[in-house]
Formats: sequence, C-alpha cells, structure tokens
Amino acid sequence: MAFLACALSGGLVISACASSASGGSGGTGGSGQGNTQPLTIAVFNPYSGANASYGPEGASGCFAASTAITATGGILGHKTFTCIAVDTKGDPVDAVPAARRMVAITTNLMGVLGPSSDEASATAPILNGAHVPMMADTGQVLYDHTNLAYFWRNTPSDDFYGYAMALYGHDAGYKNAALVFGNDISDQGTVPTLMKGFTKLGGHIAINEAIALDQPGYQSEVQRVIAAHPDVIFDEFDPQTAATFFGELQQAGASIPMISTGAQYTNWISAVSRAMGASNLAKIYHNVLGYSSAGGPAFNAYQSNLLASGANVPDAKQWVHDPFSQAAYDGVVEFALAMLASHSTSPAVWDSYVTKVSNPSAGAVIVNTFAEGKAALAAGKTIDYVGVTGQADYNSWHNSNGAFTVTGYAPVNGALPLIKVYSAAAAVKLEG
Amino acid sequence: MGTLASAIGFGLVTASILALAAVGFSLQFAVTNVLNLAFAEVMGSAGYIALLSTHAVNNIWVAMVPAAVFGALLSYGVNRLIFVPMIKRGTKLFGMVIVTVGVGLIIENVILAVAGPNFSGYALPPVHTHHIGPFQLTAPQLIIMGLAVFAMISVHLLLRHTKVGFAMRAISVSATLAEHSGIDTRRIVDLTWLISGALGGVAGVALFINVGAFTSATANEFLVVIVAAAVLGGVGDAYGAMLGALVIGLTSEIEAAYFNPQYKEVVGFVVLVIVLLARPQGIIAQVAVQREIGR
Amino acid sequence: MSAATQFYIISLLVFAAVDLLAAYGLNLQFGVAGLLSFAFILFQSAGAYAASVTSLGPDTANGGFQHYILGSTLPFPLPLVCAALAGALLALPIGLVTLRRLRSDYQAIALLVMSIIATDLVTNDQHLLNGAAGLSLIPAPLQNRLALTQVGYQWLFVLFCIVVTAACYLVMRRLTKAPLGRAMRAMRDNEQAALSLGKNVVWLRIITFAVGGAMAGLSGGLLVEFVGAWAPSGWLYPETFVLFTAIIIGGTGNDVGVLAGVLLVPVVIAEATQFLPSIGRPGLIAALQWILIGVLLIVFLWLRPQGIFPERKRRFPSAEELSRGVPRRRLSIGASAALNGRQGAPRG
Repeated sequence: MAFLACALSGGLVISACASSASGGSGGTGGSGQGNTQPLTIAVFNPYSGANASYGPEGASGCFAASTAITATGGILGHKTFTCIAVDTKGDPVDAVPAARRMVAITTNLMGVLGPSSDEASATAPILNGAHVPMMADTGQVLYDHTNLAYFWRNTPSDDFYGYAMALYGHDAGYKNAALVFGNDISDQGTVPTLMKGFTKLGGHIAINEAIALDQPGYQSEVQRVIAAHPDVIFDEFDPQTAATFFGELQQAGASIPMISTGAQYTNWISAVSRAMGASNLAKIYHNVLGYSSAGGPAFNAYQSNLLASGANVPDAKQWVHDPFSQAAYDGVVEFALAMLASHSTSPAVWDSYVTKVSNPSAGAVIVNTFAEGKAALAAGKTIDYVGVTGQADYNSWHNSNGAFTVTGYAPVNGALPLIKVYSAAAAVKLEG
Repeated sequence: MGTLASAIGFGLVTASILALAAVGFSLQFAVTNVLNLAFAEVMGSAGYIALLSTHAVNNIWVAMVPAAVFGALLSYGVNRLIFVPMIKRGTKLFGMVIVTVGVGLIIENVILAVAGPNFSGYALPPVHTHHIGPFQLTAPQLIIMGLAVFAMISVHLLLRHTKVGFAMRAISVSATLAEHSGIDTRRIVDLTWLISGALGGVAGVALFINVGAFTSATANEFLVVIVAAAVLGGVGDAYGAMLGALVIGLTSEIEAAYFNPQYKEVVGFVVLVIVLLARPQGIIAQVAVQREIGR
Repeated sequence: MSAATQFYIISLLVFAAVDLLAAYGLNLQFGVAGLLSFAFILFQSAGAYAASVTSLGPDTANGGFQHYILGSTLPFPLPLVCAALAGALLALPIGLVTLRRLRSDYQAIALLVMSIIATDLVTNDQHLLNGAAGLSLIPAPLQNRLALTQVGYQWLFVLFCIVVTAACYLVMRRLTKAPLGRAMRAMRDNEQAALSLGKNVVWLRIITFAVGGAMAGLSGGLLVEFVGAWAPSGWLYPETFVLFTAIIIGGTGNDVGVLAGVLLVPVVIAEATQFLPSIGRPGLIAALQWILIGVLLIVFLWLRPQGIFPERKRRFPSAEELSRGVPRRRLSIGASAALNGRQGAPRG
C-alpha cells in the first residue's frame, strides 16, 4: 500500500511534467512532424561534489555551439538550440535516477555532453538503451573498445595520456622519472601506460608515489621525491592538492621540471602559481593535453560564440583555452551537422552520420564552423568538420583520440605557448 | 636521520594548525559538553571572510582579525540561537551531535551556494625558505607556529590564572555546582564560545594559507583530525590539545616519510579510534576523568 | 505511458524500496536499540561490494580494466545472501566497539571516523575493490534467463525489491514484538534497570546491530544490482545523515514514521527539487538540498523530536489501576528516548 502511494506521488509528478512535454517524443528524442520546439542538448555531468567544475566546463562549450547554431537559423525547422544542465552529483548511484528523469521529461533531447568518469559506467548503458547520443568526457579505458552505438568520445582516453606523457618525457631528454599521482579515477588509468611507455623508450622510474588528495601538507612526500633524484616529475592531481604539493616542493628548494595534465582542471594554473610563484612555475611547467588550437577560423568562431553567450556562461573568458570546453563545442557542432546531413532529428537516424561529417574522406569539403558546414551540406557536398580540437577521426569504437599538445606557461599574459604536437598515431605506435 | 628531522619539522607545521583548532575545540567541549561537529565549518567560513577582507586590506595577517571576529560571533550566535534552545528542550548529548551536524551542513552549503565550486586562494607574496637547523620553513609557517604557541600559552594562562578561567574549569566539572557557587554560567559559556570561535577563525585562515587552494569543502576534511587531537590530548586542557596535535601531526608525517603516503590521513584516524577504545580520557587525564565517572 | 517514463518511475520505486530497507535497518540499530550508528552507510556498502564480487566473475574479464578480490559468479540469489552476510559480519566488530561504556557522542565520533577510514582504505588500494573508480558492469540477476523486455524485467525487479523489503519488515516486526524486542527497548530506555533484570545487554546489542547490518547489506546488494556500478563517491559518510534525517523526521522507533521519513527525505527532497525551474547556478540545487536537510533536522529536533509519527510508548497499568478495573491498553506518549538519552547533559 505504501508503495502505491509512492508510485502515485511519483506518477502524479511525472504526468504533470509529461503533459507539458510535447507528444511522447521526450523519451526517444526525435521530433514529430510540425514540432518546432527548441532542440536540446543536456550537459550530463557533475555540478556538485568533488568534480563540480565539469558541469560548467561542458556547459560553456555547449552554449558556444548553441549560440552558433541558433544564429544561423537553427536546424530543420527548429529555430533554436538550447542547453540544459543535469547534475549527476558525481557518483554512479545518484546519476541513475538523474539519467532516467532526464530521458523521461526532456523535450527534444538530441544528445548529451557527458557522462564523465564519475558516472559513466552506470549511465552510459542507460543512455545507449534510450538511443541518446553522448559525447562523453570520461577518459576511462573501459570505453576504448566499446560497442555502445550511441557513445562518442572526442577527447583522448586516460591510457593515451600516459603514452603521450611518456613520449614527451623521452623526447625532452629525461631519463629518471618520478611519478606523483593522486588516487582518483582518472589517475588510475594514466599511470600504467605512462610507466609502460616510458620504460619502453628507455627511461627509468625512480619513484611512483600515489598520494591522498586534499591533504593539508605533503612535506614528507615531497622529501621522498627529492631523495629519489628524478630529472622530471610526471603528475596529475586537482588544483588544491597540486597547490599544496608544488608549493612545498618549491619551498624545499627543488626546481624539477614537471610534465603534468593539470591544465585539464579549471583554476589549476592560477592555484599552483599562487602557491609557488608564477615565475617559478613557468620555469618547470609542461602540460600534456588533448589538442586544442589557439588560432585559426575554428578557434575564432568558437571564441566569438563563447563570449557572445551572455548570461548563460558567466565569466566566459576562463573557458577560451579550455580543451574540454572546446571538445564539447566541437561535439555539439558535429551532432548538429549529422542531423543536417541525415535530414532528420531522430537520433536513431543521424547517429551514424557523425563519422560522415567529422572523419576525413576523399572529396570532402573541409569546414571549420557550423555555418560553413550548413551551407556546404545545403549545396549537396560531403563535409569534413575540422573544429577547434583539430581533425577528428572516429575509429570503429567511436573514439577519436586526436592529437596531443605540449604547452608551457607564460605568466606575462597567462598564455600557454605551444611546445610540441604529437599525433594520435605516435601514441598508438608506442602502445605497440 | 635527515628524513626523520624533516618529517618532524613538517609535522610541527601541521601540528601548529591542528593545535590552534584543537585548543579552541577542546576548550568549548570541556565547558559546554557539546561535541560541536560544525567547528570545522566555522573555521572554513572565517577563512572565506579573510579572503573577502583581503580585497580591502592586502595583508593576510591583518585579514586574520576580521576572520577571528567572525568566527567568534558565528559560534556565539549559533550557540545562543540554536544550541541553547535545544538544550533547554531536553536534547541530550547524541541529539546535540546531530544538531551540530545539521548546522555544519548548512554553513558549508551556504558557502558553496555563495562562493561556487571553484577553487579560491589568498594572494600571498612569494616566500623564501629559512633553514633553521635541520628544518626548512617559510615565514608564514613560522608565523603560524608562533601564533599557535602564543595561543597555547594564552589559553593556559587564562585557565590557570584568571577568575574567568577558574569559572570555566568549574563549569566543566559541574555546571550546577558552579551555578550555586555564584558563577554566572551563562556569561562564561558565552565567552567560551567567543574564544573558541576566534581560535577557530585563526586556525581556518592558517589552514587555508598552508593548503594554497581551497573550496567550501576543504575545512571539513580537517574536522576529524581536530577532534582526534583534542580527544587524544584530553579534553579541556590547552596543553593536552597541543600534545594531541603534535602526536597526530608527527605520526602522519613520519608514516608518509617511511611508509605509504596514501595512508597519511588514515594514521590520524586510527590513532583516534585507538584512543577512544583504550583511554577515552586522553593522555592528560584531568577534567575528562571526572566526567566519565559522573555520568 | 512511454518506456522512458516507466523507467524513471521504476528507478524511483527501487530507490524508495532500497532506502526503506536500509532505514528499517538503521531504525533497528538506532531507534529501537538506541545504538548510535554513524557508520551505517558502511554496511550498505559492504553488501553492495559483496554482491558485486560474487556475481562479476574473475577480474580479467572485459580487458581486465578493473581489479578486485574474489570474483566468482554465484547463481541468484546467492550474491544477495552474501550481501546480507557481509553487512552482518561487518556490524559485529563495529558493534563490539559500541559495547564499551563510552559516552554516546564519543561513540558517534568513533563510528564516523571508522566510516572515513573505510573510504580511505578502499580508495587507496587499487586491487581490493578497484579503488576510486569502483566496480562496474555488475550484472542484473537472471536477466539473460528471463525472456522479458527491458521494461518488463525492471518492473519485475521492482516487485522483487518490494517483496524483499516487506519480508524483512515482517522479520523485523517479529523481532521487535517478541520478548527480544521488549528487552531491546528496555535496554535503550533504562540500561541499569534492564541489567538488573538480568537481561544480557551485550548479547542483545550484538543481535540488534547484526540484524540491522544485514538489512543494510541486503539493501546495498539490491541497489548495486539495479545500478550496475558502485564507487566510493557514492558512499561517503554524509549519506548516513540523509538516512538519519529521514528516520528522525519520520519518527524513530515507529515503522510508519520510518516510511514517511524515507518518502519525504531521499525521495521527495532529492527528486522534487530537480523539477524546480533552474535558478542561478545548476550546482546551487545540490547545495540547497543539503541546506534543506540541515534545516529540517534542526527544525524537527526543535519542534517535534519524536518525529511526525511518534513511537507508541507501551504503558502497562499498575497493579493498583488493574485492581480498579482499568483495562490494558496502549497509550501513545511520544518521546524520542534515544535522542533524549541518559548519558550526560550538554550545557548552554
């Protein structure tokens, strides 16, 4: 009896919302004839908890894309394109009802940006089963060979980061490495391939320290690293841990070059430069990240649309050089172009067109913005969208690892000067 | 030997921050018998107040003053408005713990709602390391250690050599007796909350200085260690809190130096559980002993 | 009703049933026996992990991306039995801690600390239970064997959860009504008196704690088989407080109260707030939910500490009243004895 009450209360709420959704199409995405409601992309990421920065990061890219798409008049009769936020709370258990609710009540849900590594294992199957295409920001190795048809990933997976870091470490001439990684999810994926790759290239691992995140002090860990006499430190952890750790490393008088992936976190550089001094950081800083451009037509379009997103993206400037934000933008644009190319807003139809508009193909016209792509498709051409994150090349498992950049840090203007670019093929070759 | 000395030196810094917080916590716990799990959030909110103050005056040490004042007032306010009415309604020990958890949740999430999830930090001038014997410490760390020592001595003098301190110790043994002896318990209790809040405020700023980057959740990560230090040393004794802080700070750093740094945090917690099982009155068994028997 | 809507309602129902089962377990430990279980989420988590490692199969599967102990594939319903066992077995040593004559708030902090230690240990060891990433691809029981559609299977799963919860509820009622239950309440209300009557306090505590732990473990097993994944981020210590809030608001020691509390706190507060129009930052809603829980806790403890549905205090007429012909009847005197317990007094 009690559960009837619960079902009733649940049902009442649902029916109230379902009646405001158009037709019954909310669940399966895709619009019926004559439905001109806005098309929606959901940013399905943590907005609270330990990784609360992921949500706004993805949202910034989404809004940049939606601004671009709406400015050209929309898609297939739908004049506007919007983004909504769905908070997964950063854990798989809470993400499940969030996913179910999102699928049930969202009108014209075209796709999602996400899930992240916090909740992917529980929700990717749900979204796939509901035919909701996802441009995931999870780096989990688990998805390197996934057979989920609606799963897409245009950022490198964690194991590729490991190979990329090893490649650069070797090319920069370092022989004796210290590995200092936090003990969270993404770090678990990167360390094995980093070690494998670096030793394969002839390097030596002096010390491999996993450290607990967000401690008030790391002086002893710092001493252990120094005592191992490395010529490079490979690291990945959140801004707070990094600030504490590198501040104390600086304090201990050591200036050891670092190869990090820290720039994936918002505020990482500002937090660490506050702790250790900006010029000190600049001396040792190298960061490996998925490719993102800092100029060119794609970047310019991204930047101008991002900054024009107004109240939807507060303090938009912080995302201009954020590779995940850029990847989110590219992902939404690719989804939108796929819809146009397939002449349908039903994901079951256009999901397979994502590769057709993003992968290189003979005779395809290269386009750098949504507007260009829309025009070219209208003229009957085949297109290859090359966005802010460079040329995508989705393999048979819908992974596009893309290229890697190695950047430094210039405190004068806060820029991240480009040091080197590695192709995805180089990382694959190292894998062997 | 160098590693051990360094570990001890670093342990001293962590211990100083811990001690500042633990002595405030311990003092309030002894006098009021309320296990205030919102203490760390008061610290955190004071740390954010210091951040705001640095917009007005660009010196973090000066900004500590409004932080301490805020901590004092917040603690006093929470006690007057929430804890005291609850106690008057008959809520006993465990119920009060739940109330303090509720208060802590509210404070932390108000900070989150206002400040957002991104990391913040104080803009500090670049620091130089001073080599003092086998230790390597920066000026802010030395100042923090100095503050901690100053706070210890002050609280000790307060408790041993002033009428107010005597009244506090009397209340911590038996409130009814103290009341009948003519002590204005209400005023003394208020003062206790003010002092403990102020100490917590200073400790919060010190913590944030040391970690470099912080969010609304940072301070609460420290809560259990503070309680551990206070209980280990024996609640109600200022020197006990410092001793507890030292033990925890040192064992954590030594564990990290010689064993697995991942388990650094766990060491402090295991110490607390062992103390609770073996000797709940703490190392310096004074006030807490009487309470154990009386209840 | 579209499939998507059905799936959503199904997830709400499963979560409600699981939370209710866990809340009854916590109610056993806290409301009936007065033990202060701040580490409660650990029991649910132990059950979830136990059910996972007994149904996942060896960890070399799927490319070996996760590492964990055990890794057998026991047939249904053995993983759930293991889950309940895990909860009970974990409750035993933890219960032994509370056997010490420790003041109640020290007990609370000791248990809270144990919860944090467990989170740290599991997160840091990559080979125990796959560390921070947790376990994934946990199979739903019997899904391959039953020829049902996805929706049909999930409705069956809901039914199964409801049946299990109801069965545990009946077991719990037998326990609390029986002489054992009376003894437990006596122990909670007046330990000295119970001792003087010769009740074996120690033994009672162990049983209560273990049964509560078993129910929590079972709830974890059900939850993990529905969600398919389990990670440390999902069982941090504040989760215990959500359940505490539920049973305090609903009314500790009262079965209907627990139900009301579970419906109100985890279900309504968590879900209904998601339907509000988004004001301000999206993460604001999560912060506001916690603020609401904190405020509700305080308001209820202030205004109505016995909860919405107070415990029905059984009062038996005295000999004098009996001789006057006063009938035996139950009186409902609300009092949350566990909260207004017997150890010490705070001072304001």
